[in-house]
Amino acid sequence: MVRSWVGRGSLIPEPCRVNTRQGRLPHRPPPLRYRVAKGRIAGSMRLAATVRNVRYTFDTVGEVMAKANPPKSGDVLAGIAARDAVERVAARAVLANLTLADLRNNPAIPYEIDELTRMVEHSLNESAYAAVRHLTVGQFREWLLSTAVDGMRIRSVSPGLTPEMAAAVCKLMSNMDLMTVAVKCLVVVRANNTLGLPGRLSSRVQPNHPTDDVDGILLSMREGLSYGCGDAVIGVNPATDTAESTAEILTAIDKVLKKNGCPTQHCVLSHVSVQMRALDLGCPMDLMFQSLSGSEAGNKAFGISIALIDEAWDKMKHLGTARGPNVMYFETGQGSALSSAAHHGADQLTLEARCYGFARRYDPFLVNTVVGFIGPEYLEDGPQITRAGLEDHFMGKLLGLPMGCDACFTYHARMSQDELECLKVLLATAGCTYLMSLPVGDDIMLNYQSTSYHDISSVRRLTGRRPTPEFDAWLSEMGIMDGDKPGERFGDPRVIVP
Amino acid sequence: MILEPLPPKILSVRRIPNADPALLRAYGADPARHRSLGLVTVDQDDPTYVALDEATKHAPVDVVFARSFYAGSAHGSGPISGEILGVLAATDPDEIDEGLAALIRCLEHDARFYAADATRTTAVFPHVITALGHYLSAQAGLAPGEPMAYLVAPPMEATIGLDAALKAADVRAVKIFPPPTETNFAASWLTGSLEACEAAAVAFAEAVVKVAAEPKGRYL
Amino acid sequence: MSRTRQLIDALRDQMGGSAPLPPPPPLPRVAEPPARVYPRRAEEKSAYAREASAHTTALLGIGHVGTRYATDVVLQFQAELAVAHEAVGQELPDDWAGKSGLISLQSRVQSHREFLLRPDLGRRLSDDSLGVLRTAVRRGVDVQPILADGLSAVACMQSGLELLAEFTKACEARGLSVGTPMCAKFARVWLEDEIGYEVQAKVAAILLGERPGLGTGDGLSAYLVYAPAIGKTDGDRNMMSNIHARGTVPKVAGDRLAVLSKAMIDQRTSGVALDLSHLTAELGEAAGRHHRAPQERVRLVEVQS
Repeated sequence: MVRSWVGRGSLIPEPCRVNTRQGRLPHRPPPLRYRVAKGRIAGSMRLAATVRNVRYTFDTVGEVMAKANPPKSGDVLAGIAARDAVERVAARAVLANLTLADLRNNPAIPYEIDELTRMVEHSLNESAYAAVRHLTVGQFREWLLSTAVDGMRIRSVSPGLTPEMAAAVCKLMSNMDLMTVAVKCLVVVRANNTLGLPGRLSSRVQPNHPTDDVDGILLSMREGLSYGCGDAVIGVNPATDTAESTAEILTAIDKVLKKNGCPTQHCVLSHVSVQMRALDLGCPMDLMFQSLSGSEAGNKAFGISIALIDEAWDKMKHLGTARGPNVMYFETGQGSALSSAAHHGADQLTLEARCYGFARRYDPFLVNTVVGFIGPEYLEDGPQITRAGLEDHFMGKLLGLPMGCDACFTYHARMSQDELECLKVLLATAGCTYLMSLPVGDDIMLNYQSTSYHDISSVRRLTGRRPTPEFDAWLSEMGIMDGDKPGERFGDPRVIVP
Repeated sequence: MILEPLPPKILSVRRIPNADPALLRAYGADPARHRSLGLVTVDQDDPTYVALDEATKHAPVDVVFARSFYAGSAHGSGPISGEILGVLAATDPDEIDEGLAALIRCLEHDARFYAADATRTTAVFPHVITALGHYLSAQAGLAPGEPMAYLVAPPMEATIGLDAALKAADVRAVKIFPPPTETNFAASWLTGSLEACEAAAVAFAEAVVKVAAEPKGRYL
Repeated sequence: MSRTRQLIDALRDQMGGSAPLPPPPPLPRVAEPPARVYPRRAEEKSAYAREASAHTTALLGIGHVGTRYATDVVLQFQAELAVAHEAVGQELPDDWAGKSGLISLQSRVQSHREFLLRPDLGRRLSDDSLGVLRTAVRRGVDVQPILADGLSAVACMQSGLELLAEFTKACEARGLSVGTPMCAKFARVWLEDEIGYEVQAKVAAILLGERPGLGTGDGLSAYLVYAPAIGKTDGDRNMMSNIHARGTVPKVAGDRLAVLSKAMIDQRTSGVALDLSHLTAELGEAAGRHHRAPQERVRLVEVQS
């Protein structure tokens, strides 16, 4: 299935349908094009760099990509990380001189064995790709950073980028580079709310409960709303993965939101197949959720495939209760493929980018990385989690997604609460679409530390951002906010009628 | 810091080399003598009156139009409206250029308001013109070349200040502009010897600073 | 320089130049903010916090100062965080198992940091331990319990022995033979596969410190697998979490785990395939494959007045 990116309002003119690659038909696997190209690139002349008179050579583009990655414990665990900082720089030097076309020709996982690779290859916007294919990764970085290149320009080439290109340029960027480009990228989506407008920062209320006690969920949700949180979604991770329980939670949330005229979306983050069954039960459902992985095998471990998500999306377009047109919600996170041994030797950053390549097929309303959740064996400490959060946000935005972030840590990772607070401010400054929010940031079901209800209004005040326009107006009406300041009923959950 | 200079911002400077006679007449020029216009808007009006006068001393130009805008530069009709539009007229464009150069020099280096308080919320203009040009001299009814103290402050400060200035030296008031003026400030023009004008301006500035520091005197 | 500017510069110097203005009048005394939020005693809780505590352990009804937490909440939060981090950071002393009368084993992990970063090494036994297992341990048992540190050595040392004893007693009461008591250091859940296989147990049951949550560093989890062998996945296991004084107490947990073990041996399977529908009376809510007992939140910071 070839998807036209023109349909979603891109600035690219109708793509040129003349096929420049000989013998290639749309909808069909390409011929040996990339394998031939791979042979050409893999010549030792090209994948080598010299640092202080020491020559570093690399066998494959994949090896260059992995070794160019900033330090991540997950890449060490996978045995693919650079052995030291100098080798890392050498790999980056090689990477900086590869062209974007080289990267398209060398996907992280071969075309023959991975449906995500095939889907990306078939649905790439050829005219957008033609505009940038000749650039080296180093030049692409400079192009993204230059003052003349604004969000509209980036958005116009975005449909021509493969996830591997986003990952590659990410590896050449510092944290502040990542923020500088990401803040330019505007991605505006709409369900019941309009998300991603400039000067806005939204949040998901995550009122999880270890036994799905609906009263407990609603009590936490009401408190969250009273702190101005929840304009991205009221999203519950259920303890019990059944259609009945999903439907029960959604119905209860829907009732309270309607009663209070609250303009937002709801979602229960059970498995996509469970949510489809819940839809059959006739429950309200504004957004449909699924966790994604960056390889076909990783997705198989999640019990999903492109076909299944296609089916879920189609079902949601007919039975979903949000105004739309964006109705899907995806979560990702570096390391998920490796944790199910489905990484095919690729580094976790590149695999994460491939999740976004998967997600953009569905014009989602929400996509967020759950950046510190997976544990120290993938992201060891505060600096690695901070870096990964900024990377994921950048790559998602570059690929045209309304990217949010669950800035979080588990208690066995070496990250302090202060470091986590800093990350939230960095993300907001970089234009992150939304953050999570929980009572004191403490998830009593999943046992990890994320953003708190209090943090959302604090970060908004610090960075001069407001919730979505619809939600902003509602907060004023309820007396929860008074313009950008806490209002009279701020933090008083009784303002929300049960 | 008190009496910190508040330099004026020149918001626009344009020249009309060969103006339409109707336009010339409307802005007070004489199509028989004037062909070119030089126009300037600035965010401080009184320094600009001084600078326009200065221009007449350096070039054969006439100040044909100079008006302050209501309620001052904070309420301008546009981003470059400022507080005043001043118009120089001359027979040819080169003279306009010369006049504008003198005007800009004066605004950049000489005429300016000062902050009368540490928070820069009260502005005072205690300016001494060592020798009048033919624009302000005509306005004041004095001869070109005479010295003049040009004193401006908000209403209360200006009133107390004027009394102090008149008593500080052998000067006489040639014109007093009680509030409200277009910009809601109050002003006065004093003359005498140059030394007397200087002493009056200093006494004015000192009085304004004191009023700003203690607006209610001993009463409250 | 302009004459006026010289005059005003001189006046500025004369008037005190850039000296600061006279000192402002003394500030009025700041009133103490109202006592609020995370209260010391239950009766001080806000109405909303009282209502919420009947349904959830989430910290609700805690109020705010500006957009931030009251000091009281900050202290409680930091105490809970400290408890969690302390539990993760503590290492099981090498002689603890021996002193506690248990066979001492260790995974291939050498250090605590390596334990956190290399789950693959924590799933396999060191060569020394494999040798111990092959010589000093009873083989061919029904159930092989393995006490382990997991992600909280604190939990292991605190209630591990009690859980092990209760579980052993409950198994024997059901006629199941129980293997030599042992304790593994730097252990991940899947280590039970290799141990269980080596001792030829029908069921391997690893009892280990669980990943701490906020304020809960003392929780144990149990993972049971039938016919243990390397290659078993999570789908093959049944687990029970939150085994501690405020969740499922060791006595009850030991009974339930014995019921699970018996069911596995009877049905010759475990995990997704295990049918527990007829055992709900004995297992209670733990009949689910991933049971988490509810818990309560305890106030950690008390200031003596």
